[in-house]
Amino acid sequence: MLQKKICMLGSFAVGKTSLVRRFVESIYSDVYQTTVGVKIDKKNVQVEDKEVSLVLWDIYGEDDYQKMRWTYLRGASGYLLVADGTRKATLEKAVSLEQKVREEVGVIPFVLVINKSDLIRDWELDSALESQLAAQGWNILRSSAKTGEGVEESFALLARKMLG
Amino acid sequence: MGSAPQHSRDPLEFRPKMAETPPTRPAPEPDEASLEPDAQAYLELRQLILAPEQEALERLHQRVDDPASRTEDVGSVVAEAIQLRRKQGGDEALSAALAPTIETALRESVRKDPGTLADALFPVMGPAIRRSILETLRSFLESFNQVLDQSLSVKGLKWRLEALRTGRSFTEVALLHSLVFRVEQVFLIHKKTGLPIGHAVASAVAMQDPSLVSGMLSAIQDFVRDSFHAAQGQGINRMNVGDMDVWIEEGPYAILACVIRGVAPRDLRDRMAEVLENVHREYSAQLDQFEGDSAPFTKVHDEISRCLEHRYKEEAKAKSFAAVYATAAIVILLVGGWFGWRALQYARWDRVVNTLREQPGLVITSFGREHGKFVVRGLRDPLAAEPAQFIRTSNVNSSDGEFHWGGYYALDDGIVEQRAKSILSPPSTAILAVKSGVLTVSGAASANWVKDIQIRGLLVPGIHAVELSPELNPARLAFNQAKTEIEKIVVKFPVGTAALSYSERVELRKFAESVQSLLQAGDSLHQTLTLEVLGHTDSTGAEVSNLDLSQRRADRVALELGQLGVPERVLRARGVGTTNPLRTEDSEENRQFNRSATFRVSVPAP
Repeated sequence: MLQKKICMLGSFAVGKTSLVRRFVESIYSDVYQTTVGVKIDKKNVQVEDKEVSLVLWDIYGEDDYQKMRWTYLRGASGYLLVADGTRKATLEKAVSLEQKVREEVGVIPFVLVINKSDLIRDWELDSALESQLAAQGWNILRSSAKTGEGVEESFALLARKMLG
Repeated sequence: MGSAPQHSRDPLEFRPKMAETPPTRPAPEPDEASLEPDAQAYLELRQLILAPEQEALERLHQRVDDPASRTEDVGSVVAEAIQLRRKQGGDEALSAALAPTIETALRESVRKDPGTLADALFPVMGPAIRRSILETLRSFLESFNQVLDQSLSVKGLKWRLEALRTGRSFTEVALLHSLVFRVEQVFLIHKKTGLPIGHAVASAVAMQDPSLVSGMLSAIQDFVRDSFHAAQGQGINRMNVGDMDVWIEEGPYAILACVIRGVAPRDLRDRMAEVLENVHREYSAQLDQFEGDSAPFTKVHDEISRCLEHRYKEEAKAKSFAAVYATAAIVILLVGGWFGWRALQYARWDRVVNTLREQPGLVITSFGREHGKFVVRGLRDPLAAEPAQFIRTSNVNSSDGEFHWGGYYALDDGIVEQRAKSILSPPSTAILAVKSGVLTVSGAASANWVKDIQIRGLLVPGIHAVELSPELNPARLAFNQAKTEIEKIVVKFPVGTAALSYSERVELRKFAESVQSLLQAGDSLHQTLTLEVLGHTDSTGAEVSNLDLSQRRADRVALELGQLGVPERVLRARGVGTTNPLRTEDSEENRQFNRSATFRVSVPAP
């Protein structure tokens, strides 16, 4: 049995929790996130005949009231970086978070998930930045917590990258 | 040619010459141009002969001088050298030589990163420290034992017996009995990733996904450590919720968490530490390189399962059963005792009633319990024994019983006899006996009492016949009575004469009637009798004349009686003179008694 610790990072209210809610096994309430600062869920994915159990640390996004606890990243094999397509600032935040992760725990696989693809008309995404990141080798996926689009793919891609 | 090979074999032969040059440097080549042709030739020859040795020498010098190659040489043999040295017995010197270096090295290692050495020592430090602590605790517990020794409760004694039996310390036994717990789950969690490496669960325990629980446990550990700025290695080691306890033991790479229901003994903590140390010892490298693959840890489950201890309060259970048994036994004893007591009481009363049944004059018609009392109903003759006397001599309580008697006349011989005695009031000389309703009267009794006894006896209930013994025959009694009276009569005469006075003749008339009735009685008894008339005189006068006078007096009375109707055939007159005086003649009055006639009734033997 292969297990991997992965983290979900992103600004406050980018939809990290909503993104995974329908796709994971969970026993803890969302309250943990605002209290302990993390909520742990589990997601099983299939990577080339191999079942991988992703233990998902959904870390509380930084806001005015609470700092992110970087300790929670320790031991993570990879992470999902979540941004909100309708808020440009969240993508910028994602970029700075990626940089911070590199400083704190080193280079580990990650996938950038730009959420709220169902609201694509309201997007204020800086496509220049997006393509710039893609050019740097970032894996970027669009997802929608509402429709479920891109969620499974994001996990599968991250798992592949971690095992690759 | 003979010396050249010798030279090449042993270049040291040239050493005396070489000694003139510095040993570390090759001899400087002489300037060829400045040399003489001979010298030139010598040099060439020398070069030809000695060149290979010189090169070899050169190489050796270089090797000795170069620290790198020297290190290489020593490095390749250092282990063997140490082994050789040890074999040669130079151990102590070697240790002494190495000790300062090793000490310095350890100090340096600790100074640089205490973690490395701590991690390396972790598996050995735990047991050593525990052993030391155990020793300390043991001495403490022994003194504690002595205190407990003085507690002589039943439980204490029981525990002490158990301690003796099982060879454990009393304290341990006491603890065993005081504690109840069960380790429901054991998590072995990789510290860095928070992923579960192993998970063991007791049977029938509802469990959550170990990955999630492990993650959350490490998250909480991190959270607490972060929040209170605790150092790595310091974290929660116990969480308590209601009767659930989570004990956490932390190692360099992994955390062992036990979920415990109830109160676990302290030695579980030791067990946990031991298990964690074993895991670290066995899987040190795998733990260090763990990236989520649990395959190398398949056997870890057995190890951590050792923490799945449980201890039930068996003694308490046994005790509770014992209490139930004891209560049941008491209830049975009480109920049994009560019934037993009742049965005993009943048996005692039954014995009393049976005794009463055997008594004459008592008839028991019913016996039983009424309103918590023993009630005896029956009939009782007034002359029967008093039932109370049987109660007194038995061991029953008279207040537990009630008697209801109806009156009746019993026909038992004894009772009838008593009844006859009470009704007939016989004289003390008479003997009354009753057998099968027949009253037999014997002994002595007056004719008057006997006269109507045969009628009065039949009036006594229970008597249907009366039998008198022969001596109580009324005719005989009448005969005897008449005889007695007749024989008391004294007919007195004046001095010297056989003539009867008028008053004596009147007396004789009454006397004759008595004789008539005596004769009648004799007739009814079919007895012929003789009435002898004895004539007496006083002692005055001559004996002959007195005899004559006494005869005449007897004849006179007999004649008188004959005239009064007494048949002559029964009369006999005999003068006895003074031979049979009635009284001693000490006075005139007594003398007068001797001038008389008396009577004697004689009945011939049948």
